[in-house]
Amino acid sequence: MNFFQRIIHSRLFIIWGITLVAIVIGLAITLVLISQSKQTKIRDAPPKLPDAANPTDILPPLQEVNIFLLNPTSLEITPVQVDLQLYLEPTERLKQIVSALVQETLPNYRNPIPRGTLLNEAYIDSQKTAYLDFSHHLTDGHIGGTTAELLTVTAILKTVFDAFPNEIIHVQILIDGEEKETLAGHLDLSQPLRF
Amino acid sequence: MWLRPFELLSLFVFSVILLSVTHGIAHASTVRFVDGEGEILTEVEFKLHQDIVYLPVETLKTVFDPEMKHLYHSPKKQLTLKIKGKELRLRMENKTVNIDSGKQTITLTAPPIAIQGQPMLPIHFFEKILQYLDDVEVLYNANLQRVKIMPKTSSALETSDGTREWVIIIDPGHGGEDNLGCKSHNGLLEKEIVLTVAKQIKTLSARHGFIVHLTRDQDVYKTLIQRAQTANRTQGQLFLSLHCNASFSSHHKGMRLYINNPNGQIRSKFTSMPVFGKKRLNIITQVNFLKQSKDFANILRKELNFLAQDPIVITEFPIITLADVHMPAVLLELGYLSNIDDAKQLSNPDHLAELAEAIIRAIQLYSTSVKQSSNSNGFQE
Repeated sequence: MNFFQRIIHSRLFIIWGITLVAIVIGLAITLVLISQSKQTKIRDAPPKLPDAANPTDILPPLQEVNIFLLNPTSLEITPVQVDLQLYLEPTERLKQIVSALVQETLPNYRNPIPRGTLLNEAYIDSQKTAYLDFSHHLTDGHIGGTTAELLTVTAILKTVFDAFPNEIIHVQILIDGEEKETLAGHLDLSQPLRF
Repeated sequence: MWLRPFELLSLFVFSVILLSVTHGIAHASTVRFVDGEGEILTEVEFKLHQDIVYLPVETLKTVFDPEMKHLYHSPKKQLTLKIKGKELRLRMENKTVNIDSGKQTITLTAPPIAIQGQPMLPIHFFEKILQYLDDVEVLYNANLQRVKIMPKTSSALETSDGTREWVIIIDPGHGGEDNLGCKSHNGLLEKEIVLTVAKQIKTLSARHGFIVHLTRDQDVYKTLIQRAQTANRTQGQLFLSLHCNASFSSHHKGMRLYINNPNGQIRSKFTSMPVFGKKRLNIITQVNFLKQSKDFANILRKELNFLAQDPIVITEFPIITLADVHMPAVLLELGYLSNIDDAKQLSNPDHLAELAEAIIRAIQLYSTSVKQSSNSNGFQE
């Protein structure tokens, strides 16, 4: 048995051989797994279900609601029908409707609510006064002018009173939780308003 | 033979265009005469010569003196007018007007001319000469081709007899770091326009014997309560807040007048409740001047309508700007900065001067009416 034959049949050679093969297989498996993980599409999270006012409040089917926008031709605040899944609970319904007004952008109408405005909170007290707390964009983003200010407030009031003819008598507009004297320097907002 | 739909449509469109163009031309070629109340006296077709408006001599008969007689000597190009007991002699292409055989001579900016053998008077003749012939004031609005002929208003309230001088508070809205004012697409700022008009009112007021206080006379921020305090402390008889308007539609245009009324188009919750909160009492106080505010707004509307294309609307709602002011108070929006035409007008210094003059006239008329009603009630202010 020559020198090379002795090496091949030695125990050390067998151990090194097995180790090397194991490393190669391991590396191959790792690479395959890595490449597979890159190709795997992460599934979208399931759509978040809207929070119900209470566990028994199940969303009913779509309902038609009027929101009031400026018709740039007639220059009147006019009703526009939108479909909303409305909660039964009045406060939640109020939030939904006013939020829809704030966000609505229809091509043939002008929304008199400044862009970026959000409805922070809404509630109705025992005297049938609705408190609508808007973000500061309602004042900071306002274009000014008495007409524009009247249009903004009229759109809010008409939308609320149309949806809640019996449940709401007055509307108090708040900005970031606080009473404001005015939106754009003319209309007195320090008190609840109605038509 | 029937027309096909396309031909019918073309004919209709052509007719509409023709109608609108001819209507526009017809509308543009007349001068409207109105009286002091804004009622239309007549509309007269004019001729344009070297950019000057010329009217027929007969116009004087319709709008000024029905007894007026005129004689035109064509070869001599001489026009003689017998009007309001005076004789006026004019020569075509000559700017001089001789009154009562040279007792008085007035020079016009444009001469009378003969068009197709008929003598025509420049619009300046109406503006300048009529006031010499009778106690009338004549105003000409070149933009709208309107002439207003009204009786001369009596001078400002006398002070020599012990009556109090009239103190007017003019409130140029916004200012300084106040971000509530509006601006036009080409950078016109509400706070600057209203300050310009307010200063012009103050300048004109001296000529009419009023004392005018401005709530701000430079570009500074004043709170609403500071403005009301200025007005109340100086015991003004009238408060006029000047603003420029804006809308979400560029079609909104024209002037607007607003009166503070918590029971107006939009209503406040607490309007007549006996509440002792400061704000609520102040609102009730301002409401005590509602009738006077309406009276002043109506007079202001009449005067400003002369400068407006569309009739000015008066609206009532709870106005924070006027709520704490203890005197008749009106908010005037001079025009929409969101409308191209209005913004163009508000950038014109001549238009701003006309607005200031119209406001002064309204103040004068209001003060006269208040004085007359005080006298008829048997007491002095």
